Amino acid sequence: MTMSEKMKEVPGIYLRDAELKAEDAITFKWRPNAKYIWAGGIAYSRFLEELKNGRIIARHCSECDRILVPPRMFCDQCFRATDEWVYVKDTGTINTYSVSYLDADANRIKDPILVAVIDLDGASEGVGILHYVDNVDPKDLYVGMKLKAVWKPEKERKGSVTDIAYFEPMKED
Amino acid sequence: MAFDKNTDPLKLHHVVGDMECDYIYTPGVAGDKFFKALRDEGKLLATPCEACKITYLPPRMYCERCFSELDKWIEAKPSGTVDTFTLVHEDRDGNKLPEPVPVAFIRIDRTDGGLIHQLRGVDSKAVKIGMKVKAVLKDKSRRSGGLTDIDHFAPA
Repeated sequence: MTMSEKMKEVPGIYLRDAELKAEDAITFKWRPNAKYIWAGGIAYSRFLEELKNGRIIARHCSECDRILVPPRMFCDQCFRATDEWVYVKDTGTINTYSVSYLDADANRIKDPILVAVIDLDGASEGVGILHYVDNVDPKDLYVGMKLKAVWKPEKERKGSVTDIAYFEPMKED
Repeated sequence: MAFDKNTDPLKLHHVVGDMECDYIYTPGVAGDKFFKALRDEGKLLATPCEACKITYLPPRMYCERCFSELDKWIEAKPSGTVDTFTLVHEDRDGNKLPEPVPVAFIRIDRTDGGLIHQLRGVDSKAVKIGMKVKAVLKDKSRRSGGLTDIDHFAPA
């Protein structure tokens, strides 16, 4: 890296990885005790509780007449408290999707993970939830595809978005 | 509508997590030499700048005043003066300590630097600025190359 006319490279000694890991190098290793609690808030907590019962709950804002899911106690467009609880269906439409050949730790994988933003039936347009899609060839995915939730067995549910195992293409009747 | 005020995250649906942010601190070329001399020979090393008449302890590679490289290394005596101090009444988790622990900045003799360390062998009420103290090192077998290789400072 050229720094300036006078100085052609950064002075000093570069610390090499081998030196950092060498047995005779003085190093101080530490793991800070950094714990956190993420709380779902009123709306999201109710949403997670309802998932245990196999239901998806949303909030309705009577000002803009939107149905928000995941539910929020405050409307982000009208800047006012939302008004009532409503249930939405566990079916929906792909708003956008991604085919990932990397896992959560950025390892390359052969069978891709499919994720999509799904506009649930009963919720307002563009209000979607992010979830896994499975039982479909990645090549067959398209925006606008109809999906249905596949729920975990009731006794395995614990009030988490993963109580829905994944979404799969809706079977044509 | 009104919301019930709640400031306890545990009352709501919550996720408890642990942020894994491990780090490795390297003390640099001069620091490496300083800690090795402390660990292996029980010596405190310092780097003087003859032009500026400043002796750095902990040692530095460069003079902070004139920016010249410091390549002369000297051994400092393991003794000094209490420059300032505080009495610690709680441990790091906020638990009350049975006795207050004096922690002092000790200016090392014939240097312009110093170390922050615990004082022992002195009543916390008797600690004074200007007090003469000396370093008490751990046994060589227990030293690991760090500031705690000095067990504490005690009145000289």
